[in-house]
Amino acid sequence: MENILEVNDLHVSFKTHRGEVKAVRGVNLTLKKGEALAIVGESGSGKSVTTKAIMGLLPKPAGRVKSGEVLFNERDLTKLSDKQMQKLRGSEISMIFQDPMTSLNPTMTIGKQIMEGIRRHQNLSKADAKKRAIELLELVGIPNPEERVKQYPHQFSGGMRQRVVIAIALACNPKVLIADEPTTALDVTIQAQILDLMKDLQKKTNTSIVLITHDLGVVANMAQRVAVMYGGKVIETGTVDEIFYEPKHPYTWGLLSSMPRVDSKNSELLAIPGTPPDLSNPPKGCPFAARCPHAMKVCTEFMPDYSDVSDTHKTACWLQDERSPKVEPPETIQVGGDR
Amino acid sequence: MARYIAKRIVYMIITFLVVITFTFLTMKLMPGTPFKNQNRISPEQLAQLKHYYGLDQPVPIQYLHYIGNALHGDLGGSFQFGMRPVTTILAEKAPVSFDLGFEAVIIGAIFGILLGVIAGLRRGTILDYGTMFISVLGISIPSFVLAVFMQYFFGVKWQLLPLAYWKGPEYHIMPVIALAVGVVANVARFMRTEMVEVVNQDYITTARAKGISSFNVIFKHSVRNALIPVITILGPLTAAIVTGSLVIENIFAIPGIGSQFVDSIVTNDYPMIMGTTELYSALLIIMIFIVDILYGVIDPRIRLAGGE
Repeated sequence: MENILEVNDLHVSFKTHRGEVKAVRGVNLTLKKGEALAIVGESGSGKSVTTKAIMGLLPKPAGRVKSGEVLFNERDLTKLSDKQMQKLRGSEISMIFQDPMTSLNPTMTIGKQIMEGIRRHQNLSKADAKKRAIELLELVGIPNPEERVKQYPHQFSGGMRQRVVIAIALACNPKVLIADEPTTALDVTIQAQILDLMKDLQKKTNTSIVLITHDLGVVANMAQRVAVMYGGKVIETGTVDEIFYEPKHPYTWGLLSSMPRVDSKNSELLAIPGTPPDLSNPPKGCPFAARCPHAMKVCTEFMPDYSDVSDTHKTACWLQDERSPKVEPPETIQVGGDR
Repeated sequence: MARYIAKRIVYMIITFLVVITFTFLTMKLMPGTPFKNQNRISPEQLAQLKHYYGLDQPVPIQYLHYIGNALHGDLGGSFQFGMRPVTTILAEKAPVSFDLGFEAVIIGAIFGILLGVIAGLRRGTILDYGTMFISVLGISIPSFVLAVFMQYFFGVKWQLLPLAYWKGPEYHIMPVIALAVGVVANVARFMRTEMVEVVNQDYITTARAKGISSFNVIFKHSVRNALIPVITILGPLTAAIVTGSLVIENIFAIPGIGSQFVDSIVTNDYPMIMGTTELYSALLIIMIFIVDILYGVIDPRIRLAGGE
């Protein structure tokens, strides 16, 4: 399968009063046609910034892509002008945001907000665009769409608003859909509905999805492949099975063990001690070294290269080096060993 | 909506009546009488004069009398101008003041909003600091200082603009600018703060993610939302400018209502004071009403809450 989206050695920095914050430091990602890729990692690991850079939505002038490329259908998006990016955004690549309570304009009707993108990218008359908006609302499961298009965001519940946001994102049949924690701000019951909806729509439209989340349950439910980010780098990537059942990076171990389990004998909630690195002054070596229980001398000095665990599974960790001592993953995650 | 408007109109009438009543009472508490050279006329003459103008009756009776006449559209005659009807004087002079005031407010609001939008979008740049510097100047420099300054340069030194009077469009330029600068400064500061807030909102990112042009993101999404709080200050600001152009009217010898008002207070010209106050308060009340309606037009959340 060919790659629809490829991120190569992407560096993104922000200028702040305290100096330059290197939020993304050499990220590589690939997204295949029709696939769902999950990016997981804790807050500040660079997941959102990576996707904002892909979309060309970095806050200006503070944030900018320093180097690297974002290839979409073999075009480097970082080289495009604002105008060219506008043409792409919303039509070829679109985005769903975290908080549906704030991501819709409170002073514009739902219909207008959906039609805006359609009218911009497709040569449709106002009446046809409206028809399409109603179709979209129906598609995302909003009852009585003819009436609802005339209403304002405050007349919708949170879950319904997120459906509207999804409708806006899907309005022009994008090839890539980026979902930045689409369920984080929703009730648990609504979360499942929204995920089901997204899965269903992915099947119908064959859209490729980049899903940002820190909810590993969502990953298992939606994605085929996972990229684990830490300190502005992708530290492990592989298929969902590989990441869940044969994780290699100690950070991934920590992430998996900190997921609460119903069947666990250990009722205590596990956490990774320490805090993520300060990216205005990023560490020389592996960003996780300071918190890693297996850190060696080399870890704080040099960033490890990626080593291939399998064709699809890569990790950047010195433990993969043959000179390193053999370390077994903690048993807290081995519990889930049966596939 | 209709019910809301009806309710508001009833409140407006009540407010208006309260204003009239208080003005009437405080006016009567003021020392002195409308009659000049009081010590040179005999008590009999004074009593006769008072009787002639109906000032010998108790205040409540005078009040009821006044309200009764006012309901018929008769605001009495001005003592200073040989009992010329107050309504005639107002109808003659008020349009000039309103012209001046509204021109200043409209021009001030347009430039203020534009400057605020630019400063807000280019936050932290020279454009932003420059705009805000000018805005602080505009707030701190009194309009009459600016007026005299302009008169000296444009009127006297370079003789580009007429120095005073109110005869044609070119006569409007200086007084309108003098009044508008304060409006520009106030509106620009408000607008900038709101823009800075709004452009960081998630829905602006959503709008940008749709790929619509920067122009539409700014004007359809950002400005509209940023305007909501700014409109609040526009109402009172308009009323203040329209009614407060007194000094400017004096400097430019504009035959407006401002100087008339001061004269009528100084001379205890009761009907004139009442008439002018009524005009001003009616204007203020109507402006606040318009602002509230505009609010609803711009922000649907307010429209619906009011309709229920």
